[in-house]
Amino acid sequence: MDGKRHPNSFQQLEKLGEGTYATVFKGRNRQTGDLVALKEIHLDSEEGTPSTAIREISLMKELKHENIVALHDVIHTENKLMLVFEYMDGDLKKFMDTQGERGALKPVIVKSFMYQLLKGIAFCHTNRVLHRDLKPQNLLINSKLQLKLGDFGLARAFGIPVNTFSNEVVTLWYRAPDVLLGSRTYNTSIDIWSAGCIMAEMFSGRPLFPGTTNEDQIIRIFRIMGTPTERTWPGLSQFPEYKTTWQMYATQLLSTILPQIDPVGIDLLQRLLQLRPELRISAAEALTHPWFNSLMGSQAGQRQHAQHHQAQQQQQMMHPQGQGGYQQVPSQGNYGAY
Amino acid sequence: MSHMTNPLATPDQLFQRRSYGALPIELQDAIFFATQCLTQAAGILLELPQSVTAQANVLLARYWLVEPPMSHEFSDVSAATLYLVAKLSPTPRSPRDLSNTYFYLLSPHTSFFRPPNSPPPPPPPPTAPPASASPSHLPTESTYLRFHTRLLHLEAHILHALSFNTHAALPHPLAITYLQALDFLHVRKETVARTTIQYLNAALLSPQMLYLTHQPNALAVAAVYNAARDVGAKMPECEWWEVFDVEREELGFLVVGMRSLVGWGAQMRRELDEMTGGKGGMVRRRDVEAELGRRGIRVGNGEGDGGGGPEGSGLDAEEEMARRMDEKMAEVEMAS
Repeated sequence: MDGKRHPNSFQQLEKLGEGTYATVFKGRNRQTGDLVALKEIHLDSEEGTPSTAIREISLMKELKHENIVALHDVIHTENKLMLVFEYMDGDLKKFMDTQGERGALKPVIVKSFMYQLLKGIAFCHTNRVLHRDLKPQNLLINSKLQLKLGDFGLARAFGIPVNTFSNEVVTLWYRAPDVLLGSRTYNTSIDIWSAGCIMAEMFSGRPLFPGTTNEDQIIRIFRIMGTPTERTWPGLSQFPEYKTTWQMYATQLLSTILPQIDPVGIDLLQRLLQLRPELRISAAEALTHPWFNSLMGSQAGQRQHAQHHQAQQQQQMMHPQGQGGYQQVPSQGNYGAY
Repeated sequence: MSHMTNPLATPDQLFQRRSYGALPIELQDAIFFATQCLTQAAGILLELPQSVTAQANVLLARYWLVEPPMSHEFSDVSAATLYLVAKLSPTPRSPRDLSNTYFYLLSPHTSFFRPPNSPPPPPPPPTAPPASASPSHLPTESTYLRFHTRLLHLEAHILHALSFNTHAALPHPLAITYLQALDFLHVRKETVARTTIQYLNAALLSPQMLYLTHQPNALAVAAVYNAARDVGAKMPECEWWEVFDVEREELGFLVVGMRSLVGWGAQMRRELDEMTGGKGGMVRRRDVEAELGRRGIRVGNGEGDGGGGPEGSGLDAEEEMARRMDEKMAEVEMAS
């Protein structure tokens, strides 16, 4: 982060994608030969440096964790701002599209991804950062099947709440019901709701609540989770978007809607997808849920797991044409996540 | 990373500040005070929450810790920090709003840094261009464009100088929390709270740079202590500040520092009045240069074209040296 590094320190390779406020290129460090992702920020001629870029840099240069995309460097020249990220092969959306069975991933992969996702979220939350925009496109996957949180453009630090947050956050499908109802005092629990939606989607291959409007999104959630009332959710009628005209839906069994998930997994999902934010499980608690016992029962299990992936990896390298290998994922992924 | 604490100034940085060019420290202090006041005034006119304006004050102090104040026009630095912090807050303001506000605050129409009963500004000199369609308290389009260029340039420059450490934790919400916990008897909460916040806001203006040398919890405790003493609230008899992780010595320092601001502010105002030649208003780089001239001091890092633009920040010591050598060469050539 010395700022003295020249853009020429990196060889610019093919364009990986066009983000909302940036273009991402694959790049190579001329000194080390390492691959990187170069996110070139478009400096707005009217507004200057985009606030999303400033937020992302100020948060990400502090957030160093194996499940968060590492920001290696910021190259800041007179008229250009370039972020140098660690290279990732693609995002979860792409991974599901190419590796999944009609988008659905194998349970063992879902479990590993969920664990890594929750670890990344827990780290953000202990560091008082809300991601606010978790969705499959923002979760990056590399060839070692590591999952990392990316795109912190909407993230923000939280302290003692002094002023209310904007409620224009999080892509509609993964948006928590309290935010949809107009809450401006949301907290870490909004990221947990998103994690629940992502878990269901990895199992089924389809978004759980693909709403088209704020209203439609709320109804889709109620249709499955049941319409809340002042009795089941004290204070409900105080929300700006509260309607007395909501149709009353009964709570559906998640196990019926998502038969792919085993009962222990359903139990975790149920705790992630609580309508009332204060009842939602925290990321740290979720990591100790029995569902993960089979995955990371012990340190040894964790090592074994890593070795298992490494072995898989080697196999694939030896047989580059092998089927199902993640190596085949085209690198033209959606790189908006950087 | 913690959002309750701030990166603090290192002793080296604080010492460095004393050795920037040839700018005497009392002038630096006066500039600091005036510019922080300007930021506050602009924050009010832009209807920004004090939490935003206060963070801009903190960023400006951080910036001047690593950058000599004379390298850019003071009002531009104030505008750029305020623009930057507002952009990151839920209440962003457009460059146009910033331009109008600062143009007004720097114009003779404002009471900023002028005594409340000062005579009205003199009529514009007859050589002034004929009044255009826009009223004179709004900048012309070309003035705006120049401001806009300087604003964006400085924004990038400040981000770089701060290595994107744009987060500033404020003591205000902590102070309110502490007050709730302390629950002073017999005194209306509003009274203590108001005085506490006043101490915290005044401390933003202090060139002692208390916000760069002390963490928010210590600032909050010191402000609560001062306020409670002022309004005659009964404080717990134990060493209650320890509950908030503040030691007696630090508290003592801050209490004195915050209390000394009143007299000191008045002195600053006199100093500034002198520097602006008694006409009041915001101090500018040319005022400081004139003052230095009066004192017979030369500064290396002077003003170029007065625009404060990228080139205007111009003549650094090296360029100055080169210029002198060129002159010398010319003389030699003339002589030969």
